[in-house]
Amino acid sequence: MGSLDSYLPILILFVLALAFAGLSIFASKLLAPKRPTSAKEAPYECGIVPTEGPPQRFPVRFYLIAMIFVIFDIEIIFLFPWAVVYNELGRFGLVEIVVFAAAVFFSFLYLLANGALDWGPVKRIRPVTAAAQRTTSSTVRRVGAGSGEAA
Amino acid sequence: MIGSAHLAGVVGARLVAASGITIPHIDYTAILPELILLGGMLLLLAAAALSPRPLPTEAYATATVGLATASLVTSLVLWRDVTDRGPLTTVAHSIDVDGFALFFLVTISCILVVAPMLGAGYLRRERISGPEYYVLALISGSGAMFMASANDLVLVFLGLEILSIPLYVLAGLDHRREASGEAAMKYFVLGAFSSAIFVYGIALTYGATGSTNLAEIGAFLARNVVTSDGVLIGGLGLLLVGFAFKVAAVPFHMWTPDVYQGAPTPATGFMAAMAKAGGFAALLRVFVSTFPSLRSSWQPVVFVLAALTLLVGAVVAVVQSDVKRMLSYSSINHAGFVLLGLQAATARGVAGSLYYVFTYGLVVLGSFAVVSLVGGSGEDRHDLARFRGLGRRQPVIATAFAVLLLAQAGAPFTTGFFAKLYVVEAAAAAHSYLLAAIAMGSAAIAAFFYLRVVFLMFSDAGAAAPAGEGATARAVEAARPAGIEPAGAAGGSWVPEPSGAVATMVAPVTRSAAADARSVSSGVVALDVSGEPPVATSPWILAGLGICVAVTVVFGVWPQPLVEFAHQATLLF
Repeated sequence: MGSLDSYLPILILFVLALAFAGLSIFASKLLAPKRPTSAKEAPYECGIVPTEGPPQRFPVRFYLIAMIFVIFDIEIIFLFPWAVVYNELGRFGLVEIVVFAAAVFFSFLYLLANGALDWGPVKRIRPVTAAAQRTTSSTVRRVGAGSGEAA
Repeated sequence: MIGSAHLAGVVGARLVAASGITIPHIDYTAILPELILLGGMLLLLAAAALSPRPLPTEAYATATVGLATASLVTSLVLWRDVTDRGPLTTVAHSIDVDGFALFFLVTISCILVVAPMLGAGYLRRERISGPEYYVLALISGSGAMFMASANDLVLVFLGLEILSIPLYVLAGLDHRREASGEAAMKYFVLGAFSSAIFVYGIALTYGATGSTNLAEIGAFLARNVVTSDGVLIGGLGLLLVGFAFKVAAVPFHMWTPDVYQGAPTPATGFMAAMAKAGGFAALLRVFVSTFPSLRSSWQPVVFVLAALTLLVGAVVAVVQSDVKRMLSYSSINHAGFVLLGLQAATARGVAGSLYYVFTYGLVVLGSFAVVSLVGGSGEDRHDLARFRGLGRRQPVIATAFAVLLLAQAGAPFTTGFFAKLYVVEAAAAAHSYLLAAIAMGSAAIAAFFYLRVVFLMFSDAGAAAPAGEGATARAVEAARPAGIEPAGAAGGSWVPEPSGAVATMVAPVTRSAAADARSVSSGVVALDVSGEPPVATSPWILAGLGICVAVTVVFGVWPQPLVEFAHQATLLF
């Protein structure tokens, strides 16, 4: 039992969190005045009124950019604490961080070579051989408007 | 220099303070095998990025084989050092380079030597260019190495992730095939799930013992008697579940058949060999060397796991008609045998498990390579019927496959025999007679489906066509009675109906197929259409297969060096 006692605060916190959420919802139901209008019911109360739904599929490149951003973000996260204790770490710390940065940089080189940051018309860096049953008509669905100009 | 303790990582810093050493010392020679793989991997990536035109896949394969050989040699040199001077502990006690770790380092290096050879032929055939297969294999191998030499649960987890994440990607390497993507997705979701369970196990173990360092946990448990051990047992259970997922032990095996079947076949072989090597390395170390005092708690659980794994793996494999799927169930069966050594929890049992993992790694790589060859371009022909008469069409490949299958069945004069013998012997010595009996029973069941393939390959049914009608001998040999398959495909183009197939067959992908198609007279083309596509081998695959078979037979006839190695590895725990 002794070892479980130390987890009691976590349990209490858990119960408190549940109680707070439940009470808040209950209280707002009870106390808030209800005068709904169509503007209030909309997902976003302000901004430009949407005329059509957003496209269902985004180009993969957006995700690529996002992932590259995350990688460098993580690198910065590691660089900051290292910079703070740079003097204490000395040459050893410098070597370690250079190794880490080199690993990220080589990966970035690889991404660049594979066209991760190329925008505009697609350049074929490697020959792409798709399976016969997968064609542009079967896998690509044109989204949004612009039916006339797309062709 | 106190500040440099931070370098050893979050855990390392605390441990350093605890053990009274103020300067964490990183012995780079002790982690040289891993460094070679990771550094080489980065260079491969850079070479791929900077070369003006795409390098051929064989160039990457050569580089990978070179790196793996370098890491093998380094591991063997380290082995000599460790036998002379005792185990090395480095990076604030989170890495322990002992005999046990080095045995796995050697095993993993061997897998990494063979895997690129077997992969190169496949990648060329499927026209997948780029360094990805090799780079991912190298990362995965280094992760498995870290798992094997980890002396800290956090490092075990890091190794597990470094091992697994490239495997998820490898499963989806052939992104044009839907099954491959599905396999990657399944493996990723279930793998991430099991990793989460594993981390929770680490957290509970840390909560109960106050350390994540395996040596410190062991020392804590030796000093103290945990009177209410709910948290500790819970943590241990979750760790076991996490490992069982990775090594595909029943009932945590559900992902295995689908993932193994969907993944590109060379990746399947690599996955089976590497995940089991890394998973069992950490599993054996954590349970046998860190938690021996809780043996009475985990041994019954492992008993049930092993029994279920042995039986389900063998019984379900019998009813498979797809050879790739059959081999995935058989790999589950093999995991059960390795668990036998863990259940015994003796030095003998661990040595048996080590020996088993080493032999299994090369056997499974070779087996899946043959399946990949017979499956042909596009990888959709893995049913048993495809193997009928392979002995006449491709005697070399069929013989190699027969040796590997016999090794999996545990036939004498192969490594498989001694592997099974040692673990069963260890189980019997540890008085687990029931489990030993179950293991032998499952081996008997398993022998059935291995031998079935062997008989099918060398059965004469494939030679029903009258020989010598102006056809080349090869075309006749390739023929077999129609009706089992609608039509064979010549080197990659799937032909739905036999009529009109002649035209399709003149322009196939493979050169040998083209030669065949042109040289046969029209009377025999009908036979050839209902027959099998020729198996397109490459010197790379033959070399890799040769190594697998040679190791299997040589150490099967002369097992002493490998047995000594495994035995010494457990002594230098």
